[in-house]
Amino acid sequence: MKVDRARFDQGMTYDDFKAQMTRNRERVEENERRVDISPNDLAAFRGLPKPIHTLVLAEDWCGDVIANLPVLARLAQESGKLDVRVFLRDQNDDIMQGYLNQGQYKSIPVFVFFDGDFREIGHWIERPASVTALRAKRRAEIFRAHPEFGAPDGPVDQLPEDVRARLSTELQKVRDETTPFANAEVIREIRELVSRVAA
Amino acid sequence: MTATAHKVKITYCAECGYESQTLDLARSLMLEFGQRLGSIELIPWEGGTFDVSVDGELVHSMSREGGFPEHEAVKRAVRARLS
Repeated sequence: MKVDRARFDQGMTYDDFKAQMTRNRERVEENERRVDISPNDLAAFRGLPKPIHTLVLAEDWCGDVIANLPVLARLAQESGKLDVRVFLRDQNDDIMQGYLNQGQYKSIPVFVFFDGDFREIGHWIERPASVTALRAKRRAEIFRAHPEFGAPDGPVDQLPEDVRARLSTELQKVRDETTPFANAEVIREIRELVSRVAA
Repeated sequence: MTATAHKVKITYCAECGYESQTLDLARSLMLEFGQRLGSIELIPWEGGTFDVSVDGELVHSMSREGGFPEHEAVKRAVRARLS
């Protein structure tokens, strides 16, 4: 699917996307507030020679969208150099098919960066691999430290309710503690991609 | 009512918004089996989970099978235990 100006303009602005959300809007806005952009990163985005058209595939039920789209949105708001349009994945399968994760999974969010003539600069899918790796490592540590949680890939429904609640708390703690690293990694990877337009 | 209380547990990723698929499956089981099931437990979880167990045996795992289960496949697993 070739994205051109006409198709791009059919997308929602970030605010329009938030306005139509049926769930998780509070989490998105909380995540927006938690994004910390370094002066160096902000200067790099502000220094882009021209605004970059940024197509996003998203849905409001996806945890990675809730976590990572606010990072892109803050970069767009503060730099003024990312022109963001959001498309719902399930209503835009023709676009989605062009950006399948590993050629088969409809992972979101997808960020596609275009120059002024809608030539693709690069695209980004789901979450940084470094974040997946860090969370897997931290998760493994939790299970090693708490034999009562069973195996990391074991069915949680076999755990007693109180143990399950403690495991849930531990996993939430991992997500919270790794969020600053995750946001920084999202910014680093996006910066690498959009810097190609300036190269 | 049967003497054995058969239990179905559906563990779903709440942060992913799998509530509708969870409720659809629970409803389908309720309509099919009624009081022949001892309980249907819905467990909100995380990490893209959608697992279904019947009497402690995992009959569907999103990470194992990929995707959501066919309702009929879950019903077959329940019927096997009822018979």
